[in-house]
Amino acid sequence: MPGETHNGMQCKEFEELLFDALDQNLTQAKKDRFEAHARACNKCGPMLAEVEAGQHWLKSLQEVEPPANLVKNILASTSGIESRRLDLAASAEEPSLLERIREWADPFLTPVWSTVRQPRFAMSFGMAFFSLSVALSVAGVKPSDIKQADLSRNGLRRTYYTTTARVVKYYENIRLVYEIESRVQEFKKATTPAESAPKEREKNRKNDTSGQPEPRQERNYSRDENQPVLASLPDRTPAVSVTTTRRFV
Amino acid sequence: MEDVQIVNSLVRRCVAGDAVAWEEIVQRYNRRIYNICYRFAGTSDDAQDLTQEVFIKMYRTLSSYDVERGAFMTWVTTMTRNLLVDHFRKTKQDRVTDSIDAAPSEHEDAMPLSDQIEDKALPPDARVQSRETGEAVHEALQKLSPELREAVILRDLQDMDYREIAAVLKVPEGTVKSRINRGRAELARLLQRIYRQVM
Repeated sequence: MPGETHNGMQCKEFEELLFDALDQNLTQAKKDRFEAHARACNKCGPMLAEVEAGQHWLKSLQEVEPPANLVKNILASTSGIESRRLDLAASAEEPSLLERIREWADPFLTPVWSTVRQPRFAMSFGMAFFSLSVALSVAGVKPSDIKQADLSRNGLRRTYYTTTARVVKYYENIRLVYEIESRVQEFKKATTPAESAPKEREKNRKNDTSGQPEPRQERNYSRDENQPVLASLPDRTPAVSVTTTRRFV
Repeated sequence: MEDVQIVNSLVRRCVAGDAVAWEEIVQRYNRRIYNICYRFAGTSDDAQDLTQEVFIKMYRTLSSYDVERGAFMTWVTTMTRNLLVDHFRKTKQDRVTDSIDAAPSEHEDAMPLSDQIEDKALPPDARVQSRETGEAVHEALQKLSPELREAVILRDLQDMDYREIAAVLKVPEGTVKSRINRGRAELARLLQRIYRQVM
């Protein structure tokens, strides 16, 4: 092969130019001679095709990804120091507790939040806050009175017992008042047995069938003006005097 | 492209005992070294072990690196290549594949190389699937002799120039070019035979 000559180029020269040809570094004149030799030589032509194909196959290979723990293993076996960068990357990839809670609560909070953002809800909330603040101010509760100690375990316990004592005391007071009131009423009943009760008079009135109207029931607003008056006139008609007053201009 | 100033600074700091600088070096070069080892050794496990060995050796001999004598990348690649050759000799997988139909050596099976690859023939649609194609090329690469394999790996997979490859392999540039040529042609013949039979 090295001794053969085609198109003015020996096979040895062809082989020397092969790399420059593959790297696209040949001048146009050399390239023409190179290609002409490849077409004419039945040894160099197939060789060029094979080398080009092999290069193509090799270039098609993709770079492989090293195993994830490779760097960690290397550092452990050399400097013996854990990779801070890997630890940081791992911690960065791992979601924080807050993010996990947010992720868990998002399906519930999103519709609630969309409702809360409506003006109607904001107005309602404002009114509720206003009412609460008014009620608290009327009740004499001041936010400045609430100390941090009140929120401690002992403070909460003390508040609970104090409130319970107040409620019990209030209830006992009310019961005492009612008891005294009922005793007083019983005492009154015992001291005035002769007086007829108003209820008895009422009862007597209901039993009256004389047909005489009640003094206060003279006006009947349900009657129409055109309705004929069925009642008869009295025997002696009252003297009616009509006085007309003329107005002279 | 390698930033010479930064790398030299990292090496100096590392020799002075800076663990952060060493970690930076590992981060910079582990991918490249792993890929060379994987393409040469063939399996991920071997590549991982070999990469680790390279870095252990590098860690111990880093103080011997001379900035004036050459690029750090060439130094690292030479170290990797030497370990790969040692590994190859230890595992007795060395074979000569100047011809795929050559008589098999004492370490090989009775079949020619092309037949060994054909046993694991790909399905008919493999040509259009890049992953399977990559596997076939990787498998064929393992059938090349270590001299041809390392030459094409450094040239076509690591994009090193002929002068750097010659420095790593400690052979003349002409020999490097010849090995690359033969390696590419050999690989093409292996793969052409596979696909001709699949078709």
